[in-house]
Amino acid sequence: MGHCNICQAQRILQDCANISRWTYGNKSLGKHPSQKCGFRIQLLPSGRLRNFTVMARIKEAKNPTKKSKLHSKSLSITSPPEGTSAPALSDVSLSSEDSSGQAEMGFGGLGVLRKLPRKVLKLLSSLPLAIGELSVLSGLLALGTFIEQGESPQFYFEKYPEDSPVYGFLTWRWVLGLCLDHVYTAPYFLGLVVLLAASLMACTTTTQLPMVKVARRWTFMKSGSAILKLEVAESLPRANIQDLGVLLMGSGYEVFFSESVLYGFKGLAGRLAPIGVHAALLLIMAGATLSSIGGYHGSVTVPQGLNFMMGDVLTPNGILSKPIPDFQTEVHVDKFYIDYYENGEVSQFHTDLSLRDTNGKEVLKKTISVNSPLRFGGITIYQTDWSISALQIHKNGAGPFNLAMATLQSGDNKLFGTFLPLEDDNSSTNPKGISILARDLQSVVLYDQEGKFVGVRRPGSNHPISIDGMEVVVDDAIGSTGLELKLDPGVPVVYAGFGALMFTTIVSFFSHSQVWALQEGTSVVVGGKSNRDKLGFQEEMNRIFDSVPEVVGKKHSAGQQSASLENDEISSPMESTLS
Amino acid sequence: MIFITLEHISAHVSFSLTFVVTLIYWGTLVYKSEELSNSGGKGMIVTCICITGVLVTRSLYSGHLPLSNLYESFMFLSWTSSMIHIVIEVRGQDAWWLGAITAPSAMLTHGFATLGLPDKMQQSAMLVPALQSHWLMMHVSMILLSYATLLCGSLSSIAFLVITSQINQKIFINVKNSFFFNKNGNSHDQEKKELKHTFGLSFINYRKWLFTNQLDQLSYRAIGLGFSLLTIGILSGAVWANEAWGSYWSWDPKETWALITWIIFAIYLHTRINRGWKGEKPAIVASLGFILVWTCYLGVDLLGIGLHSYGWLI
Repeated sequence: MGHCNICQAQRILQDCANISRWTYGNKSLGKHPSQKCGFRIQLLPSGRLRNFTVMARIKEAKNPTKKSKLHSKSLSITSPPEGTSAPALSDVSLSSEDSSGQAEMGFGGLGVLRKLPRKVLKLLSSLPLAIGELSVLSGLLALGTFIEQGESPQFYFEKYPEDSPVYGFLTWRWVLGLCLDHVYTAPYFLGLVVLLAASLMACTTTTQLPMVKVARRWTFMKSGSAILKLEVAESLPRANIQDLGVLLMGSGYEVFFSESVLYGFKGLAGRLAPIGVHAALLLIMAGATLSSIGGYHGSVTVPQGLNFMMGDVLTPNGILSKPIPDFQTEVHVDKFYIDYYENGEVSQFHTDLSLRDTNGKEVLKKTISVNSPLRFGGITIYQTDWSISALQIHKNGAGPFNLAMATLQSGDNKLFGTFLPLEDDNSSTNPKGISILARDLQSVVLYDQEGKFVGVRRPGSNHPISIDGMEVVVDDAIGSTGLELKLDPGVPVVYAGFGALMFTTIVSFFSHSQVWALQEGTSVVVGGKSNRDKLGFQEEMNRIFDSVPEVVGKKHSAGQQSASLENDEISSPMESTLS
Repeated sequence: MIFITLEHISAHVSFSLTFVVTLIYWGTLVYKSEELSNSGGKGMIVTCICITGVLVTRSLYSGHLPLSNLYESFMFLSWTSSMIHIVIEVRGQDAWWLGAITAPSAMLTHGFATLGLPDKMQQSAMLVPALQSHWLMMHVSMILLSYATLLCGSLSSIAFLVITSQINQKIFINVKNSFFFNKNGNSHDQEKKELKHTFGLSFINYRKWLFTNQLDQLSYRAIGLGFSLLTIGILSGAVWANEAWGSYWSWDPKETWALITWIIFAIYLHTRINRGWKGEKPAIVASLGFILVWTCYLGVDLLGIGLHSYGWLI
């Protein structure tokens, strides 16, 4: 067997596991420091168990001329040693051959096929790949904000002309050819998102879940020197391990005692939560996919007093869209009105809606406003827009006449206008008449046939106005409401994902701290580590170490009997800070 | 009327205070004096109270929470910066240099709000229908809290990069000068460690190394917290959008840039997992994050399109 024995392999194994815990595949870690024999340690993923298998090929150094017989011994380790001095070893298989490849682990002939998904999995769960994906995704997202999305091709012809390209090269051919007018639904974008989802899933299965198993398994540390090697470690003379345990418990740790050893931890949730984050992200992606290919959407502008059928205005989103019986409901717009502040600005838009079923019976009556939609059987109706449909006037005492209003300006500053002709002759190519403009339902502005301003009237004030020999009374401004209807099956899934993500990102913030201690004679050797909040942990440990009471016994040393004090235990001055 | 004058007085007082506190903390960087840093800490507390006063009087006479326009959001940001400082100081962590980051943040955001914005934009206005929602409180406050913590963490990373580049320069010069350090096969990190050991007795460099460690830790924890808050902010915005317009994500530039910021800080948190990329690489990502937060906050408004535009320069 040469000079190398299994014990030395163990030590190297421990060092390896501490350095790079989750390496998969072949990783040659260099020669054994002892120059007496060379052996290579290869870390290989083993078959069905998620653990490490070390294959130590021990070469005999005695006969260098002869082709050395390679004694391969497979050592299987059930978990990377965390805090143990000697990992549990068990021989899996013993095969001695001088092949250069991997030892047969039971793959047999299907070895390559079985290895392929694992190779893909390993590739997908690589961190640099994930970071690369995220970076490319950010770039694409930014691109979509610099180039206007969703406009008509004409817009791009004008904005990115070929004879004067933007930034020197960006013409409409680039924009439309690379789908830059709809980046967020482009195939390369969606493909990238799918790849990201695959990476998330791969990472969870290959990296995060095993890490959880490790974090939840813990062992006592029985060697003082091992404890002192930890990040924060101290040897407390004349201390009692029970006191330390109590202090740790007071600081929120869950403490376990066994004989003269102690283990405490807190914040384990902080290690488990990142899995939740990934799972929540996947849930959100699934919900978003469901939203985009299932469900219905539609928008409609309905003048006050009219109605529509839900099913008529809804268009399906994709292949998963399934109609529901509630589409047969009739929506009746009873009233549309606007509330105003004292300074005249709009305070809120309201629409009184009445829903009736196929028999004409009213099933729901509600007033909706912005931020307060109507929900009925899975369909939600939102107040998103408004407009003025008609102006009702009396002309020279006759009427009422309805003048349809046209939208001259839409968006934030709306402007509507209508025209009241002076002559009854419709064949005139240049009709003369009164123009009436309105910005909202509060007041209208009237102009005469030359376009000169005449006056302002409030609808319903019954105050007549004389223009060009006519007397006009503005009775009412009839508004129309802009409604948006949505049926989205993905919303519950997405909301669940949102809630989970919010919660798990907060929990991920917590640091998982672990403390080990050992009573060595009269002193306590204690050490610990924390995965996130290292400095805070250090300060917390220093505080606790300072608070551990000092034990002074009667039988001290022979020459110092006079110095001993009455009580067995005397607490250090810092103990008062305990409570 | 009295509320408006009260608000103006508080705003001017708090700005002067932040200015003084900034000077104090920058002074402690040069002269380490116990009383100076104590007075800095007390000054921060008084500043925080003053800015709270500004926000409270504003919300009293406008009838809504002070989160509805650019001026109010900047004042809130300034308030949060001072709060971060107070929270970290109260927790007792040794951070004498923290004021050098948080005090200027508070001062500059405050100054921009009161002095940089035109008067018209500072007026309190009634809430438009779209903003009349309980979600306003949740979404905007969370986003602004996250901006403040992320900016603090990013600034810490920038400071980290500046100081480590100085250390690297010093080490490089020393390596050139002392040839007996040229051991074969030693990696750069190992050389640095050896030099740190040798220079352990050299007071200034060891302290710098400790200091950079603290900066790194602050940056990690601040960005970790800011990331969670940003997640909550973005998601509450999405839920609000769904309640208001039926669509939880509409690829609005502001939403998209918030997502980009979120992704960059997610990258930062992931670079810290890989132990091989210690210190500098994550810090570079975090510094990039600083620029992105400002792009997301102000840059999108300059573009002038989308739901969130305040229409300032356009």
